[in-house]
Amino acid sequence: MRALTSTSEISDEGAEYEDLSAREARRFMIICIVPVIVFLLLSSLLPAVIALTDSFRNLSLTDVFQHGQFVGLDNYRLALGEESKLYHSLWLTLIFVAIVVPAQFVLGLALAKILNRDFWGRRFWITILLIPTMIAPVVVGMIWRFMLMPSFGFMTYYLNKMGLFKSVPLFSDPTTAFIALMVVDIWEWTPFMMLFMLAGLFSIPQDPIEAADIDGASTWQIFWHIELPLLRPMIILAIMFRTIDASKTFDIVHVLTEGGPGNTTELMSVFAFRTSFVSWDLGIGAAVCLLIAFFSLLVASIFYKVVSRETVERAK
Amino acid sequence: MNRKASPLLWLALALIATIALFPYLWIVLTSFKARTDILTTPPVWIKDPSLFNYTNMLFYRGFSSYLLNSAIVGLSSTAIALTVGTLAAYAFTHYKVPAGNHLFFYILATRLGPPVAYALPMYFLFSKLGLLQSHVGVIVAHATFNLVLVVWMMKTFFEEIPAEIEEAARLDGCTEWQLFSKICLPISLPGLVTAAIFIFIFSWNELLFALILSAGKTTTLPAMIPSLAMHTGTLWGEVAAAAVVQTIPVIVFTFIAQRHLIRGLTFGAVKG
Repeated sequence: MRALTSTSEISDEGAEYEDLSAREARRFMIICIVPVIVFLLLSSLLPAVIALTDSFRNLSLTDVFQHGQFVGLDNYRLALGEESKLYHSLWLTLIFVAIVVPAQFVLGLALAKILNRDFWGRRFWITILLIPTMIAPVVVGMIWRFMLMPSFGFMTYYLNKMGLFKSVPLFSDPTTAFIALMVVDIWEWTPFMMLFMLAGLFSIPQDPIEAADIDGASTWQIFWHIELPLLRPMIILAIMFRTIDASKTFDIVHVLTEGGPGNTTELMSVFAFRTSFVSWDLGIGAAVCLLIAFFSLLVASIFYKVVSRETVERAK
Repeated sequence: MNRKASPLLWLALALIATIALFPYLWIVLTSFKARTDILTTPPVWIKDPSLFNYTNMLFYRGFSSYLLNSAIVGLSSTAIALTVGTLAAYAFTHYKVPAGNHLFFYILATRLGPPVAYALPMYFLFSKLGLLQSHVGVIVAHATFNLVLVVWMMKTFFEEIPAEIEEAARLDGCTEWQLFSKICLPISLPGLVTAAIFIFIFSWNELLFALILSAGKTTTLPAMIPSLAMHTGTLWGEVAAAAVVQTIPVIVFTFIAQRHLIRGLTFGAVKG
């Protein structure tokens, strides 16, 4: 856009020059944009087309005789049928997201309120507290597997002393296994929320807060009636980021429970992974993946609309 | 920002830091322990620190080559995503790209859905091409997945360049290429460095694509760490050592990029 305005400004120097520079700008634009198009064609569009065609074929490795045959919509029927575990995994993912994201938000905001003041080594402390978010999720999973290992884990030892999980190990009970996964996710991602909320608190104007303070409003009133409404756009953005990310949770489940016991902790991504690479039914796996991709894009585009509306409202 | 620090604040900080850091510090401690001291009740601190777990993991369990794979994949995918993404971001900010909005949303979409939905199609492609035993699959996957980060982040950095600078350069007879390479790119260098650090960390930490798209000799570190859990029992000392080696670069980079953490983690959506 800027190129067009600047060329029009110097247009009085001659139409020929303008024509030349516009052509040069156009050529450079093409040079800039062709690599990304070629790259995306090869890395995502081509695989998607292959996956789409394979989702109509029988690719079950256990079914040697029928292997590779065109089966029409059978894979989709199986993926969406009554016996399908897809719904179960979507339901689990929904519960998981509905609990971890609000928990991370409340804890992150509380931490941000605590850290939102001047003290020695502030930036250092904030960076240190981000370690759970920055290190690899697979390492997070292994750390907690070690801490919560039956009998010998550091946490298990003290939990056992308190009389907890003595007869049934933590990860053998569906409910406690699911709760443990949520606790680990909250531990991992609360610092991210904290960072977000700190940036928000830093950016909001201080005048209304000072004015309310002078008028004798309590700290709680200031927080509830002034700071929180001002933080609204930031909160929506943060919750959107976390919701999209939390719905994709894979690593910690893969390491801690592998979706078990049974399939009681099989979140969406874990279910899709296990259908393809544990049961080795790649045809159904492809169908499941495309359905999940479609479903997530739908949710994401709704979020995207909400966020753009927020920013427009903010600009008014 | 309000009020000064009080003793109560320091107490709260200490508590928060313990919860956030203790599990990690415990694994660091474990990595220096002898095997007999790792699985004990009650847990023991440390008796004779040794580097046995590190040498065993790196040389006997073959983790030195997985470490090298991670570095190759991380650096290559960063280079590709940075080149392709910076050019695209430049085009988006400086020119009217035909169907630009669609392309932009398409790039964004690669990050919205679950990675497994992209990993499986890539698995089909790379198995058909016979490239599952090479680094190519994971490099392409990581570069694709991190493209949105470069495009978004560099877009915000390019947009911050004052229009007057560019107009002055144009009037001085800068060609489009010179404007990009001699003016805009050097000004946005901090953004480029930040983007590079974040892509590298994301690639270095990534598990799912690595698990699906690489096999045997080309596997990266994150994909191999869980494999130390064997039927005969998990080699916790080696797991701890591998975890420490894997996380050191991440922590170093986190400190280097600390001023831009929020920008990196939100792909430039939030300027901190």
